[in-house]
Amino acid sequence: MPDTAKPIPNSLVVLREEFDDWAILFDSATGNAFGLNPVGVFVWKCLDGNRTIKEIVNELRENCEGVPEEAEGHLREFIQDLVEQGLAGYETQKD
Amino acid sequence: MRPKRINAAVNLMNTPRSVDLAITNQCNLRCTYCSHFTSAGDVGQDLPTEEWLRFFEELNRCAVMDAILQGAEPFCREDLKQLIQGIVRNRMRFNILSNGTLITDEMASFLASTYRCDGVQISIDGSTPKIHDACRGKGNFVRAMKGIKILRRHGLPVSVRVTIHKHNLKDLEDIARLLLEEVGLPSFSTNSASFMGLCRYNAEEVQLSPEDRFLAMETLLRLHRKYNSRINAEAGPLAEAETWLEMEKARQERRERMPGRGCLTGCGGPMSKLAVRADGVIVPCIQMSHIELGRINRDDLHEVWENHPELKRLRERRNIPLSDFEFCKGCDYIPYCTGNCPALAYTILGEENHPSPDACLRKFLEEGGRLPDENAK
Ligand code: SF4
Ligand code: SF4
Repeated sequence: MPDTAKPIPNSLVVLREEFDDWAILFDSATGNAFGLNPVGVFVWKCLDGNRTIKEIVNELRENCEGVPEEAEGHLREFIQDLVEQGLAGYETQKD
Repeated sequence: MRPKRINAAVNLMNTPRSVDLAITNQCNLRCTYCSHFTSAGDVGQDLPTEEWLRFFEELNRCAVMDAILQGAEPFCREDLKQLIQGIVRNRMRFNILSNGTLITDEMASFLASTYRCDGVQISIDGSTPKIHDACRGKGNFVRAMKGIKILRRHGLPVSVRVTIHKHNLKDLEDIARLLLEEVGLPSFSTNSASFMGLCRYNAEEVQLSPEDRFLAMETLLRLHRKYNSRINAEAGPLAEAETWLEMEKARQERRERMPGRGCLTGCGGPMSKLAVRADGVIVPCIQMSHIELGRINRDDLHEVWENHPELKRLRERRNIPLSDFEFCKGCDYIPYCTGNCPALAYTILGEENHPSPDACLRKFLEEGGRLPDENAK
């Protein structure tokens, strides 16, 4: 994905925050549910189609403790995983 | 790494995961053991379509995942498709509990087209029209079996619930053969006619005696083994057989206790779900429709869920030791017992925070009941 790509959630997916900032991503179209830890929840809330992955990493650094150097790589993998599971996609660029 | 702000640790989820919705008070049948009619859930009216649709938007905001549509009989609602479209629009999946007699090809095709239907549960009480119809009324076996066929033809997941009563006690073997071998269902579940709704007036005619319960337990355990666990139960004779045999074994082995037992832990419902009556009143469970927690579209669901004192009282019942009850005094089973269903405790005694006398092993044995042999073939 180019650096300018902005991830966006699948609108059929529900974020269900349950206990202690942990959550479930529930795909109502398939019935599948995926667990998210508190950092995953934070990232999910940043997927608004307005931020690039780099910008999300900056948000993470501002709002989370102990963000490691290699966070951007981890985030790319995490978002790629969401995309492969059909939970997220990328905002298409308008010409 | 972790976010800087962490919520205070609580062990209650933020909102219910699923909701039981009695979308209608109407039914085309009047089964002699029906738990709905004459109960507090029998409210004599239905809500207009718009009220439900508005409420589904709140369920979406609360991230509720599943709606269990029931009634009386959900297929009596003429706007059922509109309601289901509302559920789908609001990112939920759904199940339907039905008597199966009103299902049409067109409705099944609609349900399948939503791709959100996790199951339709149909009640079948006998292997022949005579036995099924004994409590449910003439012609309804044929209609319900046809309903199952139509649903399956459209690829919908169908489950069957068999309610055990005096008229079908000797038919269990044939029911299992019909459902698992002839119809080819993966499994079915069982319960028994319990002292709620109309059953309270027809108890003599339908409810199982201690000897009947023994027979039902023995037969179901045998069938459960024969069909490799394709028969299951959360209540009724099969569930009781499994729990009671475990309790008796623990007693004989003089175990100190069993995990999660010894207090009123028999119901986890109020920790993960809520229900709504056909008139829009929010209740903890359809079977506890007498406990009114608020009204949809007037009271905030999240607020009701988190703070209603009656819900708190039900959630705290798990901390009440069975040894506190005069009813359980001197009972050897206390460290292995959960006190069971609060709704049945209420219909029998008028008090939810009490062990249910119906599921009391000591009482069952005192009344002449016997436990089946676990290994009987
Ligand atoms: S048990 Fe079900 S089908 Fe029978 S009368 Fe009651 S609601 Fe109707
Ligand atoms: S008296 Fe009944 S309900 Fe009470 S502990 Fe004994 S078996 Fe359980």
